[in-house]
Amino acid sequence: MGKEKILKDIQDIATDPFAYIKAKKVAGKKAIGSPLADVPAEMVHAAGFLPVTILGTNEPIVKAGAHLPDNACSLARSNLELVLNYRKDTFDGFVFPQVCDTTQHLSDIWRMTIPADFFASFLIPRQVDRKSAKTWFYRETLRLREQLSGFAGAPVTDAALRESFRFYNEVRALLRELYGHKRAFPGTISNREMFDLIRASLFMDPADLIPLLKAFKKEMTEEKEEKRLLPVVLSGIAVEPMQLLNILDDLGVNVVGDELIVGSRMIENDVSENGDPVEALTARHFAKSPYSPIRDRGTRLYDHLVTLVEQTRPAGVIYFHIKFCESQDYDLPDLKQVMREKEMPMIVLDTEYQSVTRAQTKTRLEAFVESLYGERENG
Amino acid sequence: MADVKPGMTAKDYSRQLTKAYYEGAKHARENGKFIAYTTAVSPAELFYAHDVIPIYPENHSVMMITHRMTAELSESIERKGYTSHLCAYARSDLGFRELHKSPIGGIPDPDFLLACNAQCFTLTKWFEVLARRYNVPLFVFDTPQFIRDKKAREEIITYVEEQIYEMIESLETLTGKKFDFDRLKEVLEYSRQASILYKTYLDMASYKPSPISIFDALINMAITVYLRGTPEAVQFYRLLVDEVMENKVKKGIGVIENEKYRLYWENLPIWFKFKDHFNFLASYGAVILSSLYVHAWSYDFDPSNPVRTLAENYASVFSNVEMEERAQMALDLFNRYSLNGNFMFLNRSCKAVSFAIHELRDIITEKTGIPALVFESDMGDPRFYSESQIRTRLEAYLETLDQLAFEKMRQF
Repeated sequence: MGKEKILKDIQDIATDPFAYIKAKKVAGKKAIGSPLADVPAEMVHAAGFLPVTILGTNEPIVKAGAHLPDNACSLARSNLELVLNYRKDTFDGFVFPQVCDTTQHLSDIWRMTIPADFFASFLIPRQVDRKSAKTWFYRETLRLREQLSGFAGAPVTDAALRESFRFYNEVRALLRELYGHKRAFPGTISNREMFDLIRASLFMDPADLIPLLKAFKKEMTEEKEEKRLLPVVLSGIAVEPMQLLNILDDLGVNVVGDELIVGSRMIENDVSENGDPVEALTARHFAKSPYSPIRDRGTRLYDHLVTLVEQTRPAGVIYFHIKFCESQDYDLPDLKQVMREKEMPMIVLDTEYQSVTRAQTKTRLEAFVESLYGERENG
Repeated sequence: MADVKPGMTAKDYSRQLTKAYYEGAKHARENGKFIAYTTAVSPAELFYAHDVIPIYPENHSVMMITHRMTAELSESIERKGYTSHLCAYARSDLGFRELHKSPIGGIPDPDFLLACNAQCFTLTKWFEVLARRYNVPLFVFDTPQFIRDKKAREEIITYVEEQIYEMIESLETLTGKKFDFDRLKEVLEYSRQASILYKTYLDMASYKPSPISIFDALINMAITVYLRGTPEAVQFYRLLVDEVMENKVKKGIGVIENEKYRLYWENLPIWFKFKDHFNFLASYGAVILSSLYVHAWSYDFDPSNPVRTLAENYASVFSNVEMEERAQMALDLFNRYSLNGNFMFLNRSCKAVSFAIHELRDIITEKTGIPALVFESDMGDPRFYSESQIRTRLEAYLETLDQLAFEKMRQF
């Protein structure tokens, strides 16, 4: 299989995972969906299910508007639309995390509106700066384990968990390697390709994905002549619609780092395959980089971007703001200030899952990238 | 603070307490005291027990809203990059910090911040902004949704209890003083008594005609919000309950004449409009009697087990339970107060209370058979309030109730 074919296979699933999920269901797997935010896929996988992260839809909102008002965040409305309307038969059950007011209420709406054989709230701590949060995460993960065991009809064993850890660790390691390659050899993997690879890992069984990633890795070459792409860092929660990444590719920029939730935060840490598996999942949760709705230690939310910028030395930062995400709304004015103090150019793009006209965003990005090129030449 | 002087009305006493409270806060530092900002639903008893003055930026924001200052304050921070979609309390408060405008000369800067997310998530982010601004510690008191699973509830309570001990450690670090658990029990006993009396006051809405409306409750709840844990709060509610009993209940005087419709209000009030709404509704023989919001401070404390009782009461507030349970809480008010109308306000400022309102309406309407009016506006920002549109909808709703009552009468 050549590079293009492998990539196409993965990208097809990353763009539209539902044919893949259906095939897994036909083969006897039950699909457990979870909206974004820190549900340990390993636990769902170890229980014998296919864990699927629900990442919204770009199709129009038809039914969700009757449940969530238009000032609810675009991701929440789009997730609800997906399961209420476009993909209502896909999931056998849900593990539902809560991180903010919107997700807390969405959990109620979901449980009361979407028929499913299984629904478990996963009440992750909304602070990670004190000891109590660790104890709570541990206990809540144990509770999830019990619930999944109940639905599976058999206990989730330590051995099964460690097996899942091995699978997911391998996926993460491969993705980190590929990201490293993209950073070292700009142009070998496009921005869209890299984030499609990460995205596919949120839908696919690692046993299916690992061979594809390995085959893809083999095709990687070390470009001798470095392409003159402008290095940038991405910040925010998710890049949606994904076509925005194509725009970045067209503009000649290379993403050298990111602190996106659907991005590096998914792949940056592994789970220890030794000791108490629930303890290991807890340790991984607390090693993750900050996430806007979760209260972190001191000013870590800001310091993290500063450190990333210092390490990767980009020409600029592109921040993706999900429309009506109030957590990001509160962060942004100070984050802009921090970047100004560091003399790091930053653009904030207001994105919406249902936004079909991207002309304005494209124009703004073009102007931003042009100004970065200008600064580079002058500086 | 102050005792009740002979002949003093509850209103006089409330004014005196409020004045003394803000004066005390103003001079806190001169008197060697620390100031903690906290959220309306939070274990504020810990502050009173440790001689730290709790200040509620939300209360201050209500004052700015009722003085119609929010649009100007909000615009000042919108220019700084904050959006007009955020909570009007937060926008008023952040605007106050830009323009230094306030109807009471402002509130002092904090030494410590406590944000309890049982009430909402917004507060934790708003206070995060303040924590950076003042470079002071922020303690997010995390209360996972109090789901209806017995085992989960036990674990949530344990997690919240652990955080109360962490909070105590933080207070000891702040002040350098050892925390006194006996004093906490004493403070909780005052909170317990004030809560019982406050609830007795709210329950006066069960009389027919009702001697109080929600608008009275909204004014009188302020004392329990910021002074629960003090003997003065107990004295105030005793005075208030006695006063309403003597002046209204015993004489059969209702808060409006010809009471016809006894209404439920879902959500916080439209603060800058509530007097107008009261007068407008009264002209139709309608009065809003209660809401879950005013009942959020009807706690049931057991001072003999202080940490546990704080955890149980603050984790289980209406805004932190599942929608089915919240509907049951609202239905309980419908039954106890014989309510026969339902206004459900979708408050753009408050996602925490407003989202899932349609699911809540469905349950309440199904169980009571009473139609509900769902309408959208903002509790604090007049730019999102359309007078003619809302009046028309309220009128149309009352006419529907009239029509339903007429048809019901005809059936007999």
